Amino acid sequence: MSLDWQGAWLSVIHHPLFGIAITLGAYQIVLAGYEKTRWVFLQPVLVSMVVVIVVLVSCGLTYVEYRKSTDILSILLGPATVALAVPLYLNLRRIRQLFWPVLTTLVIGGVLATGSCVALGWLLGADHMILMTMAPKSVTSPIAMLVAEQIGGVAALAAVFVLITGVIGGIFGPGLLTLAGVQSPEARGMALGLTAHAVGTSAALQEGDECGAFAALAMSLMGVATALFLPLAVSLVA
Amino acid sequence: MLLRGLTWLVLFQLVGTALNHLFLSILPGPIIGLVLLMIYLMIRGEVSEPISLAASSLLRYLPLLLVPPAVGVMVYADQIADDFWAIVGSLVLSLMISLTFAGWLMQKLIDRQSSRREPS
Repeated sequence: MSLDWQGAWLSVIHHPLFGIAITLGAYQIVLAGYEKTRWVFLQPVLVSMVVVIVVLVSCGLTYVEYRKSTDILSILLGPATVALAVPLYLNLRRIRQLFWPVLTTLVIGGVLATGSCVALGWLLGADHMILMTMAPKSVTSPIAMLVAEQIGGVAALAAVFVLITGVIGGIFGPGLLTLAGVQSPEARGMALGLTAHAVGTSAALQEGDECGAFAALAMSLMGVATALFLPLAVSLVA
Repeated sequence: MLLRGLTWLVLFQLVGTALNHLFLSILPGPIIGLVLLMIYLMIRGEVSEPISLAASSLLRYLPLLLVPPAVGVMVYADQIADDFWAIVGSLVLSLMISLTFAGWLMQKLIDRQSSRREPS
């Protein structure tokens, strides 16, 4: 009697829980590694992503199937975004005290983040579609995807650029800020949230509550500002 | 406790989704929900235990929640490869410039404000 090993294997990897299993597994292994070594390149999101992609490709699974089985995790992103109101509220007094610095940094930093990316992309010869997809790269993916589509980019690619930006910001952001002599948690949080959205915010939360609150604030302000003004700016230029 | 807080967060997002559909198609539902919860907390003047518990539990796992959308990179490997250097170059340089600048600017503004407030 021979057991149907291959059939068992196939029913395991095509089970709806398989995507969840590799995501949870990869994340915990990477997190444990990060906590042990504190090595900046072990950015949890980035390394988990690589591990999951390797597993999917070697099992011959498609992204569509993986995405469907991890729907429950993606659905929780909505309430998690809403939950950012809590650290924001808790630090409201501090934010009110710094109202003008926050507003000034938002306007100048936000224009620089969006403008410099489009200008550099244009100089390096990326085509129009890619430029319009890269423009909203500093905001959270739901807003970036919406805005990219409105101004002539591709929504799904926008999510990828948003992620690349966030991951680079999460890895190099804290070090760059220290190099530039930025010490106060408010300024560090503001810079991380403004330019590297949710990934920057989660890096900021690791530095402390206050830093995280300013990152959440910067992220939501930048998101709202981009959603309102970027389509307007593009329609004026074009 | 956790469930009650979670229910509130979900409700705020659903109201946000409704508003998004009705008036504000430019802002996604979760962001409207964030603004609404913020207004609600400001009116109440405190964060209730269930909401605080649900929020901190969810936010602790924020990086995990971001993994599935991140894996989407694998679908666009070809398009990214075509314009690879332009994309990476402009994303990386622009991020480094704007992040460092934003931090520096904010630090300067904070320093200026606090030195002005302190009696000299």
